[in-house]
Amino acid sequence: MSQQIALPHAGIVLLVGPSNSGKTTLLNQLVEREVLLRSEIVSSDQFRVLVSDMDYIDLKKHSKDEQEVLYAKYQQISQSAFEAMSALINTRCALGKLTVVDATHLWPEDRKNYIILASKNHVSAMAIVLDLPEKILLDRDAQRELPRGRNRINQQVRNFKNNLHSLKTEGFSTVNILNERQLEQSTFIRLSNPLVKEAGAGLDFIGDIHGCYDEFLELLDKLGYNQNEEGLYVHPEGRKLVSVGDILGRGPKSIACIKFFQEHVEQDLAYMVDSNHGWKIARWLSGRKVELTHGDEKVAAEFEHYEHNQGKEATDRFKEQVKNFLLAAPSNLVFSKNGVEGIVATHAGIRDTYIGKQSNTISDFCRYGDTDGVHEDGKPIRKDWFAEHQSGEIIVWGHDPNHQPLVVNNTINIDQGVVFGGRLTAYRYPKKAFVWVEAHKDYAEDPESLWHKWKKERFSPPNIQSFLSGYSVNTEDYGEIRVKEEYVKSSIEEVSHYTVPIEELVYIPPTMSPAPEPSSLQDYLEHPKEAFDYYRDQNVTKMVVEKKHMGSRAIFLLFKDEESAVNYVGSPTLGTIYTRTGRPFFDQAMTRMIVRQLNADLTSAKYFAKHKTDFVLLDAEALPWNLKAKELISAQYAHVSEVALMDRRKILEKLEQAQEKGWDVGSWIEEFKLKLGNAKVFREVFPKYCWDTQGIEGIKIAPFHILAHSEQTFFDQSHIWHMEETRELAKLSDLFIETEFKVVTDEASEQEAIRWWQEITEDGHEGFVVKPETYIARNNKGRIIQPAIKVRGRKYLHIIYGIDYLQPENLTRLKNRNVSRKQRHALMEFALGIEGVKRFVRTESVARIHECVLATLALEAEPVDPRL
Amino acid sequence: MQLAIKASGEGAKALSFLLAKNPQNLYDRTEKGYRVRLTYTVFTATEVEVILFVTLDPVELVKNSPDAFKITQYINDREFVVSSLFCSYVRSALGTALNGRTLEEYLPWVNHAFKLNLCFGPLASDMPDSVVRRLFEPLAYDVNIEYGQTNYQFKLKDKSSARFLNLQGEVTLQNALKHLYVLIPALDNYKHYFMDEREIEKLQRYGEGWLVEHPLNQMIIKRSLRFRELIDKVPPELKGKTSEYFNSDTIYEALSKGSKESVESLQEQEPQLREEHNLDKSWKPEEPQINDAKPVITLNEQRYQAIVKIIERLPSKETIVDFGAGEGKLSVRLGNIPQVQEILAVEPTEKLLLRAIKRFAQASLQDGYVSPTPLWGSFYYYDERMRNKDVMILGEVIEHIDEHRLPRVMETIFGSYQPKTLIMTTPNVEYNRIYEMQEEVRHKDHRFEWTRAEFAQWSNSWASQYSYQVEIDGIGLEVEGVGHPTQIAIFSRQVGLEK
Repeated sequence: MSQQIALPHAGIVLLVGPSNSGKTTLLNQLVEREVLLRSEIVSSDQFRVLVSDMDYIDLKKHSKDEQEVLYAKYQQISQSAFEAMSALINTRCALGKLTVVDATHLWPEDRKNYIILASKNHVSAMAIVLDLPEKILLDRDAQRELPRGRNRINQQVRNFKNNLHSLKTEGFSTVNILNERQLEQSTFIRLSNPLVKEAGAGLDFIGDIHGCYDEFLELLDKLGYNQNEEGLYVHPEGRKLVSVGDILGRGPKSIACIKFFQEHVEQDLAYMVDSNHGWKIARWLSGRKVELTHGDEKVAAEFEHYEHNQGKEATDRFKEQVKNFLLAAPSNLVFSKNGVEGIVATHAGIRDTYIGKQSNTISDFCRYGDTDGVHEDGKPIRKDWFAEHQSGEIIVWGHDPNHQPLVVNNTINIDQGVVFGGRLTAYRYPKKAFVWVEAHKDYAEDPESLWHKWKKERFSPPNIQSFLSGYSVNTEDYGEIRVKEEYVKSSIEEVSHYTVPIEELVYIPPTMSPAPEPSSLQDYLEHPKEAFDYYRDQNVTKMVVEKKHMGSRAIFLLFKDEESAVNYVGSPTLGTIYTRTGRPFFDQAMTRMIVRQLNADLTSAKYFAKHKTDFVLLDAEALPWNLKAKELISAQYAHVSEVALMDRRKILEKLEQAQEKGWDVGSWIEEFKLKLGNAKVFREVFPKYCWDTQGIEGIKIAPFHILAHSEQTFFDQSHIWHMEETRELAKLSDLFIETEFKVVTDEASEQEAIRWWQEITEDGHEGFVVKPETYIARNNKGRIIQPAIKVRGRKYLHIIYGIDYLQPENLTRLKNRNVSRKQRHALMEFALGIEGVKRFVRTESVARIHECVLATLALEAEPVDPRL
Repeated sequence: MQLAIKASGEGAKALSFLLAKNPQNLYDRTEKGYRVRLTYTVFTATEVEVILFVTLDPVELVKNSPDAFKITQYINDREFVVSSLFCSYVRSALGTALNGRTLEEYLPWVNHAFKLNLCFGPLASDMPDSVVRRLFEPLAYDVNIEYGQTNYQFKLKDKSSARFLNLQGEVTLQNALKHLYVLIPALDNYKHYFMDEREIEKLQRYGEGWLVEHPLNQMIIKRSLRFRELIDKVPPELKGKTSEYFNSDTIYEALSKGSKESVESLQEQEPQLREEHNLDKSWKPEEPQINDAKPVITLNEQRYQAIVKIIERLPSKETIVDFGAGEGKLSVRLGNIPQVQEILAVEPTEKLLLRAIKRFAQASLQDGYVSPTPLWGSFYYYDERMRNKDVMILGEVIEHIDEHRLPRVMETIFGSYQPKTLIMTTPNVEYNRIYEMQEEVRHKDHRFEWTRAEFAQWSNSWASQYSYQVEIDGIGLEVEGVGHPTQIAIFSRQVGLEK
């Protein structure tokens, strides 16, 4: 009768048997039959050669003295070879590989190490024992090129036989002892990893349901699953469901949920991983003594009710099924697409080395997450396992209720606390989209729950100690951004005295750089050509140029109504308007007036209803310049223009008198005429951006980025989209104006844009901004590139670089400017801005949003040439 | 920046010898970063005029400037206005005249009072015209002030901040220049260079014979030297008669407020002379508008003493947090209270914190003194180092917090920090009418000031919400009907009743 021997997908297989048992021969056959890979087999002989180039030492030819030396050496080499081999096997186990060890393994001590190695790496250790008659071994030995000799074989056989009985209790997951006949009749097969499944037509990961069966059915409907004749929910495209566990407990309909998954898992329509509540109920059903708390008592009550209706026998039968179903749930599941294991489901967390493996340790970790002792109040102290995730797969998990899906480091938490009155979330793979339904009510009503604690603490002040000595922010688009202590401190000072409340300060606009090269034209400092060249060099072929309004940057966070704001900023407000440094743009009365006006305009245009949003976050320029900068204009620009004009006029006057009286000051007069002309240009330029306002009359707001609505950000939209949407906005309120823009794709449109720039800047207009078509643009090396390049007009730059900046002796020196620091800052602040807004939209904690904002403020506090 | 000197009448031509500038030639010197030029515009027996002007290299000017990282650095009036910079640029061109040296035959002209016209500018000064006149009129000049143009098409300013002065008087050339060398720097809004004792020497040299008699003597000295360390070193023979305010902090502060670098302590509570933007109104430097009546002990001082007394009487006072410690004036007094073991002086403003550190270092020289620990902290963040202390003090602090941000701050203090005793002081707005103030609040950073009823109601509501008992009192001179200038609330945590 043939026997099938199944080799595991991963772990360690030890061959056991004296020399000449046919271990190597067997393995060679298995390689030939493609049951094993050559690289899966290691042997002590092989490692002896690898570490020492020696295979075998024949002691017989040597004197006794020499023999002693050689023997000692041999022992040492064997030991080193063994260590090297163990290290290799350990690595392979950690990576979830199978390793077959070809050696005699006669003694329990020889085998023990491998059992430890396997267990440490959460893989199995298997023993295949070849038990052949001594006669065969001796015959085979005689035919060897280098026979081991009768004595040695005798000794090996004795040791082997003496230790055979203990093999089964040493800790191997399987032990196969094969005699000559059995070996001949055995077929070897290879098992695949039971935790790896095909992603197939697509997967819908479902967050913690906790007995909220009605919401679950609603979600299935939203996902497009239909009930067939057998009552099963199937997706027309063949998609499958993956529950991240905790389908039961706390909520009203745990049994319905259990039945659903039991049936669907059985029918291969769904998967479910193990979880803390599921495990507890399984143990309770197994008759263990467990205290049912945290809503698990509701499950027991449901079973009681079930028994009341169905009778004890049926209930016991059902309970047995449920128990088996729950116990069978794997700690984690890995799904592969096109042979790539791309996404992992687990309940509370997983380490990279646990993925696709099973053990008690892993089960515990996956059920309860990364816990590190307990707090005074008995709650586990949680550690952020996801911060260490590096192995590339997306990890979808639940367990920790977060208000919004928490996406960190390729891990996605989809427990949105439906049972606490939150949402039930589905994550669609490979589409990477979220779908959710709102809870019908708060079923748990547990004020101690993490969900409520999170809600309570979401708006708590950020911990100052996590910032004070400098810190890093992990951004999706730029990676880690580090800010230095001194600048963080000065920014904290700023936030402490001047900015709008931390909760409302959700975004600080990034700085913007001019092109890396100054204009190649002799009498220009900046010119559009260099900006277009920059983007072409970065392989951007389509650009958007937007007129740059000369006013003050302003961020508008406008809510649908005061109540809606509570969920986002913690207290009721219609909105806030702040500057690029986070300070209130207007005084309170004025802010209220503008916010009210905008709210009325947007509401009457049904903006919030149409976009199904509670708020809109806008990046804008508010005009006129003197609205915000009156003091600066008066004390600096106007003052300097007045003194310059006075000085130059007076000198010119006196020089003309002198010339009249015969002194030879002609060249001085020419010089001062020119300089007086420069001062006049300066005097002409800065008032261009100023006009009188009366209350809100005269105020113009030019939004150019629609950063976010309550369910989404718009960083995935092109700048053409942003321009078109803001144009729509301009139609909704008299306060809003649109921004002129042009699209540059070829030589002709580039020339057209340059003509336009010449025209507006000659008129004193500030200039324009060149942007790549996409909001977030990368070059072909995958590096993020400047999100915008400003090109300022020749006249305008007088107010930046000074009255006489165009004098050739000044301009040549000014062209030696270096923008690299400015550009680096622009990129980091850009990434931080996006990150902060994304966190805000996901309604993450104030601390998480503030770390982005504070970092931008800190970067802005670093000294960078302000004229750039 | 320019200076035109015109002499009229008999012997006008002697001016050229005193200046040692040949009327036939143009004077043109280029130094590093600047160029000085001079030409005559008239040269007759009865009328001689010379114009002296300086042009700067604007790129060179801003290099190494402390404003290098301000957007306005290239937009800089220093390039144009007369200032101490101007004086030093033209020092060598005017050297002979300033020293009163000339060829022997012209020596009599050194002491000759010419009919002189001195035109100089533009001037950037925060002094109103009336004060400018009072600088020059005592020196027997007629003063004519000309303003720059402001015709902006939008509302910006009523008057130009550029002025040009025309002085007329009968004065020797040397004295006229000495006057300018003292008064131009005093007029100008700020100094361009590091100042040391040499500035006092300059005052002595150029002020010789006239400065001590000048009615605005002390103001001129203070405007010239700016820093108290220097002012204190001025020798008595240079000081005028009216110098009783010389060493008082207040006048120094009042005068220095015009300068941009003056740091306003958030802890200043009294109504006092503020930065005066309006040039003409109430610019009376010689009459400090301090409520200097008689209170030998300032209200600040009374407040510190009251808080110290309260703490001394508390049973638990080992650990104290002075939250919003400013420059540490209160914290520094806590180190001598028996039983106190730890004082955290928490403040988010670096400049104030640095001053506090200096103050603490000085105080800790005493025996048995517990030196406060300066801590960078803020009301809008959470800091576990402040939890469960015996005493927390918020002295004149809450009024600096926007009223709508106050609840969250209080939640953190009462809910998370939970001090055994919380002491809070804030102005009593009812008392403001005793001060006869123009403004609504006592300090421009005050976001609100409360009546006694408002403060009491607010305090009681927090106390009951967080199981504290509160006692409310006043500090300072009580006035019938309006109460004390300062209100104080002492919250005591009710142990065991915590919700």
